[in-house]
Amino acid sequence: MLADDMACNARNEYPAQVFNNENHKLNLYGDNVEVDYRGYEVTVENFLRVLTGRHENAVPRSKRLLSDEGSHILLYMTGHGGDEFLKFQDAEELQSHDLADAVKQMKEKRRFKELMIMVDTCQAATLFNQLQSPDVLAIGSSLKGENSYSHHLDSDVGVSVVDRFTYYTLAFFERLNIYDNASLNSLFRSYDPKLLMSTAYYRTDLYQPHLAEVPVTNFFGSVMETLHTDSVYKAFSSKTSNNKINSEMPLNQLSEHDELQKANIQNDELKTEKQKCPYTQMRVDLHKKLEKLENVDTVVNLGIAVMLLVVMVSSSLL
Amino acid sequence: MACLVRSWIPLLFLQSFLVAIAFGSNEGEEFSEELLLKPLPDRKVLAHFHFENRAPPSNSHGRNHHLFPKAISQLVQKFRVKEMELSFTQGRWNHEHWGGFDPLSSMNAKPVGVELWAVFDVPQSQVDISWKNLTHALSGLFCASINFLESSTSYAAPTWGFGTNSDKLRYGSLPREAVCTENLTPWLKLLPCRDKDGISALMNRPSVYRGFYHSQRLHLSTVESGQEGLGSGIVLEQTLTVVIQPETTSVETNMQPSWSLSSLFGRKVVGSCVLAKSSNVYLQLEGRLGHESKNVDTEIEAHKLWMNSDFDLSLKPDRVIRESSSLLFIFDIDKSSDSEPFDLGLTWKLPSKWSCEQAPLHASRFLMGSGNERGAIAILLKATESQEKLSGRNLTTDGRCTIKANIFQIFPWYIKVYYHTLQIFVDQQQKTDSEVLKKINVSPSTDKVSSGMLEMMLELPCEVKSAAISIEYDKGFLHIDEYPPDANQGFDIPSALISFPSHHASLDFQEELSKSPLLSSFKEKSLVRSYTEVLLVPLTTPDFSMPYNVITITCTIFALYFGSLLNVLRRRIGEEERFLKSQAGKKRGGLKQLLSRLTAKIRGRPIEAPSSESPAAESSFLSSKLIFKIILVAGAAAAWQYFSTDK
Repeated sequence: MLADDMACNARNEYPAQVFNNENHKLNLYGDNVEVDYRGYEVTVENFLRVLTGRHENAVPRSKRLLSDEGSHILLYMTGHGGDEFLKFQDAEELQSHDLADAVKQMKEKRRFKELMIMVDTCQAATLFNQLQSPDVLAIGSSLKGENSYSHHLDSDVGVSVVDRFTYYTLAFFERLNIYDNASLNSLFRSYDPKLLMSTAYYRTDLYQPHLAEVPVTNFFGSVMETLHTDSVYKAFSSKTSNNKINSEMPLNQLSEHDELQKANIQNDELKTEKQKCPYTQMRVDLHKKLEKLENVDTVVNLGIAVMLLVVMVSSSLL
Repeated sequence: MACLVRSWIPLLFLQSFLVAIAFGSNEGEEFSEELLLKPLPDRKVLAHFHFENRAPPSNSHGRNHHLFPKAISQLVQKFRVKEMELSFTQGRWNHEHWGGFDPLSSMNAKPVGVELWAVFDVPQSQVDISWKNLTHALSGLFCASINFLESSTSYAAPTWGFGTNSDKLRYGSLPREAVCTENLTPWLKLLPCRDKDGISALMNRPSVYRGFYHSQRLHLSTVESGQEGLGSGIVLEQTLTVVIQPETTSVETNMQPSWSLSSLFGRKVVGSCVLAKSSNVYLQLEGRLGHESKNVDTEIEAHKLWMNSDFDLSLKPDRVIRESSSLLFIFDIDKSSDSEPFDLGLTWKLPSKWSCEQAPLHASRFLMGSGNERGAIAILLKATESQEKLSGRNLTTDGRCTIKANIFQIFPWYIKVYYHTLQIFVDQQQKTDSEVLKKINVSPSTDKVSSGMLEMMLELPCEVKSAAISIEYDKGFLHIDEYPPDANQGFDIPSALISFPSHHASLDFQEELSKSPLLSSFKEKSLVRSYTEVLLVPLTTPDFSMPYNVITITCTIFALYFGSLLNVLRRRIGEEERFLKSQAGKKRGGLKQLLSRLTAKIRGRPIEAPSSESPAAESSFLSSKLIFKIILVAGAAAAWQYFSTDK
């Protein structure tokens, strides 16, 4: 989701090019870039619709988050923000409870297996204060009361090209080679508050696996682990293969990287373990009973009469 | 041994027969790629990429495509599109210098932003729904916000003013849509060779987007097959028109800049797309009148055409054709490869000037008036130098020479146009409508529901120097959620389309060029049309921080007012002691009295005797409370009964 057209903006000296460094070595707006939501379509409503999957029927598949219960999702947000909010287009705000609500809906609808939220704004860590759903990992570039700063200014283009948090994240990945098995723990430990000029705070209380055992390629990068099996109908519940799609993260970009499903065949047992909340069960039963009654009005009248009696009796007792 | 040989010969025949059938069924699909380069008089170069893909009619279920993009055929099938054109444009087509009368500018000078029109083949009641679904599908396919055209406030249903006569035609335009790499990439992915091979490999994104004008267009039309049972064939035409200024180091400003493909795009053509039936590059030079020579067959004469005192071409053309005043050099790039890249260059030796033919009248549009309440829109048609050349051809029935001009405009609903204020001025004299206005079709706008549409046909005398049409409007008010985030920039009125139905632009190179889709499309007579500018109208925008300010101020005032009021009315000094006293003096039930006595004993306080004045008052108070409760419940029950049974 890109709110502004940066690459082909009339003010851009380098048309169709967006750089993340002053040396202009890497053009982030390559030949294969795809922007699904841009311009006036970047609204809080569309963002929440994408997360929860509640679209109108006509919305095409490329604009939907097609994830399921085996997906690993990386959600990266940057821009201006503050205490428990993030600004959208200078006219709207995404609040932390809205985000927590959307994530809760996603969890209930089984739209992800693991979700990682990375926020690079001022007071970023407050945006995920209200999260309660399990299997969510969140990291923000600064704590409440701290600002996040940009890294350096490109005097050629005339604007700052990368924020500090993003710059050090990219620097971490550039140091890795293709065979390194770096873990998320090493990524999170690599942030130095003195260099960032803010404290990168992360929240792991909702995330079960140990960070030292989770490779970064679970969320960043596209690593396919295929399990060969001869038998079609065996269930692999513990080992699932995760397939990720990653794309570049230029400035002011809100991108979602969605994952494909696991390689094993669906197990029938998984479906029957849907537990209903007892409260909803009660309500459903009551509703069914009410529907069976032919004349609901008489029941209500009787109820009122009984209520009157009770009031009279209780007040006479007083 | 012999019988073995005999047995596999029929098998061989059978196999080749089957292979022939397999190829035969796909043989109808054709793809051709072409590039037309044309130096423009104002030191720029026009590059026009043209890709045409044809799918033959076949059974509608079970289409197997090997060249034609499946996404497009599925789109046509699902939404039953008969004809469609989608264009993404940035920049303004400079009619004065780049021409307006040739087929290239008539078809490719598009309005800024996104323009979409489509003709459907569904019942009239379903056209709007098909349009809505089509806009969503296209927005997903091309990474653009074309889905904003779904609401009825953004599109219109033109009848005759648009050039296509159909009542199932819908037209919409988004002037503010940005065009960038993410729109070009899926467009290129519809080509069989993508952007990896052939002419499309030239499209270096920074070079394309650095141009003064770039427009990518996708036009698809279905071709009815006469036979029953066969679906219709589809012709998909994709064009990209770019106007680039070559960098030049020469000091002289008279000379046109020399350029080559590598200096324009930073790349060379290395080989043609193997899936293309024909792969050609054309170079068109205009204004070449001085080289009339009947004998171009001799080697020396032919050589002089492309290497002479005026200019030099770096490569020898395969063919040279001339039309009335333009020369066309044809290069076939099938022979090029990695080792021999195709890098056509043009070097100018002498300064030369020429001009491109323009449409008979040059159209421009502007706003009049000031303030946020009302204004006026004016269209100005000015005669160009081509007018005298073209005027001789149009004679009406009574022998007068006239130029017909069709004007088609869409007004958003917040520009409330008053059609009765339409005024037409010819040569600065106001004319009554009936003299000049021959046909008019008005579709007034409905607030927040649909936009307004105006189609006019004017008949102007051939010698007209200038004609002006003006119309007044009132500015509407938008609801606070309808404002875009950058509301203070203003709102756009989409471009108007001016077309000249009595003039047709075609470029006919007399030679037989049936193989080239680009040149055969130039041969067809196309309507001369030009789009005007997009108008930016400032509407009244509210101060968006005011709701927040109002809420905080009123809440503060309420809090202060009610807080102080409640304090003043209810707070009594010494309230607590009085309360404790009354508690102690109340007549209590047995258990409570026991308890209070017990606590008093523990605490060592004196037991207070219950006062006797209160019971009477209390009992009456209690009974009044009881009566009140009963009345309330009875009233609620009666109201429930009344409202539940009363339908």
